[in-house]
Amino acid sequence: MLLSLLSKRSLEADSRDAYGFALRPQHVQRYREYSHIYKEEEEERSNKWKNFLEHVEKSSELSSPEKAHKEELQAEATERKAETVPESGEEGNDTSSGKSVSGCSSERDPEKELQHSKETKKSKVQTWTLIRSSLGSIENMMSFRIRKGKIMKDKQIIVDKDHLPSEAASLGGASEDDVEEDVCFSDALNDSPDAFTAENSVSDGFSDSVKVAGEVEAMDGGVPHSVQSIGTEEAVANGVPPEPFFPWKLELESLVHGGVPTDLRGEVWQAFVGVKARRVERYYYELLAQETNTTESVDKDNSSGVPRKWRRQIEKDIPRTFPGHPALNEDGRNSLRRLLLAYARHNPSVGYCQAMNFFAGLLLLLMPEENAFWTLVGIIDEYFDGYYTEEMIESQVDQLVFEELVRENFPKLVNHLDYLGVQVAWFTGPWFLSIFVNMIPWESVIRVWDVLLFEGNRVMLFRTALALLELYGPALVTTKDAGDAITLLQSLVGSTFDSSQLVLTACMGFLAITETRLQDLRDKHRPAVLAVVEERSKMGQVWKDSKGLASKLYSFKHDPIVTEEKKTTEEGTTDGYVSHSKSGSRNLDELLSGTSVDSEVDSLPELQDQVIWLKVELCRMLEEKRSAVLRAEELETALMEIVKLDNRRELSARVEQLEKEVAELQQALADKTEQEAAMLKVLMWMEQEQKVTEDARISAEQEVAVQKNAVHVLQEKYDKAMSSLTEMEKRVKVAESMLEATLQYESGQAKALKSPRAATTQGNTKKLGILSFGLGWRDRNKGASDLKSPSEQREPSSPKDKTGEEEKGHAK
Amino acid sequence: MGCSASLPDRSSSGRLVGPNSENGGASDAKNLRVKLVLLGDSGVGKSCIVLRFVRGQFDPTSKVTVGASFLSQTIALQDSTTVKFEIWDTAGQERYAALAPLYYRGAAVAVIVYDITSPESFNKAQYWVKELQKHGSPDIVLALVGNKADLHEKREVPVQDGIEYAEKNGMFFIETSAKTADNINQLFEEIAKRLPRPAISSTQNP
Repeated sequence: MLLSLLSKRSLEADSRDAYGFALRPQHVQRYREYSHIYKEEEEERSNKWKNFLEHVEKSSELSSPEKAHKEELQAEATERKAETVPESGEEGNDTSSGKSVSGCSSERDPEKELQHSKETKKSKVQTWTLIRSSLGSIENMMSFRIRKGKIMKDKQIIVDKDHLPSEAASLGGASEDDVEEDVCFSDALNDSPDAFTAENSVSDGFSDSVKVAGEVEAMDGGVPHSVQSIGTEEAVANGVPPEPFFPWKLELESLVHGGVPTDLRGEVWQAFVGVKARRVERYYYELLAQETNTTESVDKDNSSGVPRKWRRQIEKDIPRTFPGHPALNEDGRNSLRRLLLAYARHNPSVGYCQAMNFFAGLLLLLMPEENAFWTLVGIIDEYFDGYYTEEMIESQVDQLVFEELVRENFPKLVNHLDYLGVQVAWFTGPWFLSIFVNMIPWESVIRVWDVLLFEGNRVMLFRTALALLELYGPALVTTKDAGDAITLLQSLVGSTFDSSQLVLTACMGFLAITETRLQDLRDKHRPAVLAVVEERSKMGQVWKDSKGLASKLYSFKHDPIVTEEKKTTEEGTTDGYVSHSKSGSRNLDELLSGTSVDSEVDSLPELQDQVIWLKVELCRMLEEKRSAVLRAEELETALMEIVKLDNRRELSARVEQLEKEVAELQQALADKTEQEAAMLKVLMWMEQEQKVTEDARISAEQEVAVQKNAVHVLQEKYDKAMSSLTEMEKRVKVAESMLEATLQYESGQAKALKSPRAATTQGNTKKLGILSFGLGWRDRNKGASDLKSPSEQREPSSPKDKTGEEEKGHAK
Repeated sequence: MGCSASLPDRSSSGRLVGPNSENGGASDAKNLRVKLVLLGDSGVGKSCIVLRFVRGQFDPTSKVTVGASFLSQTIALQDSTTVKFEIWDTAGQERYAALAPLYYRGAAVAVIVYDITSPESFNKAQYWVKELQKHGSPDIVLALVGNKADLHEKREVPVQDGIEYAEKNGMFFIETSAKTADNINQLFEEIAKRLPRPAISSTQNP
């Protein structure tokens, strides 16, 4: 296996991943982010697998599920035990003489198997290696699947002529004992000719379904392949064996969903595909030998060799298979070439189809060359039967089936794609044909392959494709035209680094996609594809060579009776012994179907029925247990969800409360501002009031001033009056003095004229009267402030007033 | 909207049968959207031509194409129209021809590539021309491309053969080299010029 030859240094850290595959520059960063996740997952799963394998080994030792068969084969088993002695001797030789003989390593003591396989990993020239014994149980379980499938096919006479004749043909070649590389190998086998039955291997974890060609020939005349021969023997011995019960099958399934550990992967894959049960001793080398012979003799379109067009195509494609991968150096490419040529010879109905180069390259990275060959045979012949043939019919059928499933699962997406004019098959066709190689990151490819090879059918292909659409459909719905949609999808799919998410979505999200469902849908859609193919082959005679053969092959497959003769003659013309061996295998088929039916009738004792029933029951209970566990897990996650939700609820409650408080505060604030506004209003009002009063005060003051003014004016008037009064008084005085003077003058005159004495006295009295009046009036006025009119003041002395007026008038 | 015009056509023609020309060409007169498919024998350099045109890169050891791969590229022409090529690069092996109708159906352009050093690939190119004349859209633009023109010392298909065959079949012919980038852009520009432009009336009445 080339991958183990890779030193870490040879991987350019930046541009290649852990498997040595080139990373796209835009993905380097994402890959780095994921690489440590991958590492953690890897550690986890290798622990899980270790525990599981230990557990299984113990349980398979304790209770062999096939005691019934074991008894019948007791004799053989003891025979085989006797054989182990020389084998272990050889083993000792091997180890002592160094590891150069790994090519011959086929029979090993179970105890040393593990050690051995580790040792052979180191050696450079590896062709065939048994897988470690700890995986024997798994291998055994898977081998039963193959055998059962074969027997069923035989019984229903749906003989898969697609690859049976080719196998027969090649086995015809295998009978020619002309292989040099394999001498050591076959020698070892000849020591233990009977050590091939799987029944034995269950009991002691050792199995090698190898049969020496001569023995096979002796048995039947024809040359069937080993799987069939085992089936025959079983059918003869004890009827159709019920699939043995493996209590750990479900556990294994969940482990596979979690991924296979890297260092076990190559061997686990072989166990899944049932390489050991498929393997026919020396078959591979016969194919290669024929190939080299034909290429040496004539480089023409030789019908016994690989047709020239396939050889040319393989040559073209080898350098274009994982270009630049460090493991695909000269040796790696030679391995790849041998593998592809051998397959093309092995199954001419497929020959070589682009895409197989990638599968072969991937397998070569994980396992030795011959193991890779048988794994490829299992995948292409069985899991992908009819996929890579000339017409690619099953591939086209699958696309129609898938489209129907997409329409059912993603109506919205399909609506959008219809609107854009995008057909689902445009992008899913390449996904299916390449089994996702080069489509999604390698870690994801390999995880998908883990499940696909375990399940042994194409269900995982559909589930993965649906999972990708589930993951990226929502993004696709936003695109505006066909180009954008496909570009977006390609880039999203190309960066699906979360391999665990992808596998879990695929396995858990689409449980409704089962093999039976797919088969029904395939049967429904196949006629449409066939019609188109037929029409094409009728109309265009352009592909005369290839198309004719392919369509014949196809009709042959579906209508064996009519075309069988044609086929036989065709093969017969090309190669004599091929037709011979073919008819031989046909005989065998008939024999097989006959015997298996017979044996089924008489080999169903009640006890076995009960055992089966109990097994079924147990299986059911295990299923229940598993679903219970799943349910528990689900509930746990749900609980976690709820707890999370609860926390959220609490938080949101608090937030609400806080919000409420904030609202209250805001309300209060609003109230306050309102109050303030009110106060302001009041203040304003008061100010206004104040202003009004001020105004009033001012006006009052003004009034006061006016009154004062008036008072002043009055005062002035009064003063004037007073001054005029004083003036009057002065005048009175003057008048008095003048009066006095007059009086004096008169008295002087009287004295002089009459009795001076009498006249004078009279005159004096008169004079005194006036004077006293004048003085008295003046005094009264001087007391002044009372408002008695002068007339009133004068009333008491009104007679005197007359005189006063007289005097006034006089003075005037 | 360009898509609306293509929608009724799709439903009437069905998924499996009948060419669907409207699907590939599209849009308004200024921004065309074109579905282009590359066909031809294995290893003639289809993927290399696309990679050279879209990314300007050349990888002598490119991967085998399984099924088909998709890339798109927009170019601007001198008359200020843009053409968005939606390129389907198909697998070359003979048997993948069974899937080719899926990709050339509804394509407005088919570029048929051969290798000038391989007469066999030239024969295969002629097969594809016939196939498209029979099953392609009636108004499909066909281009015949002789690739690996840089390997002229190994040439086995004369230029004249290519020219004559193309002329006879009403195709556009060019020799290119994805390795040296010779004529790669010219190829797509020429194709763009030959595209039928959507008439104004047709965009108004979908």
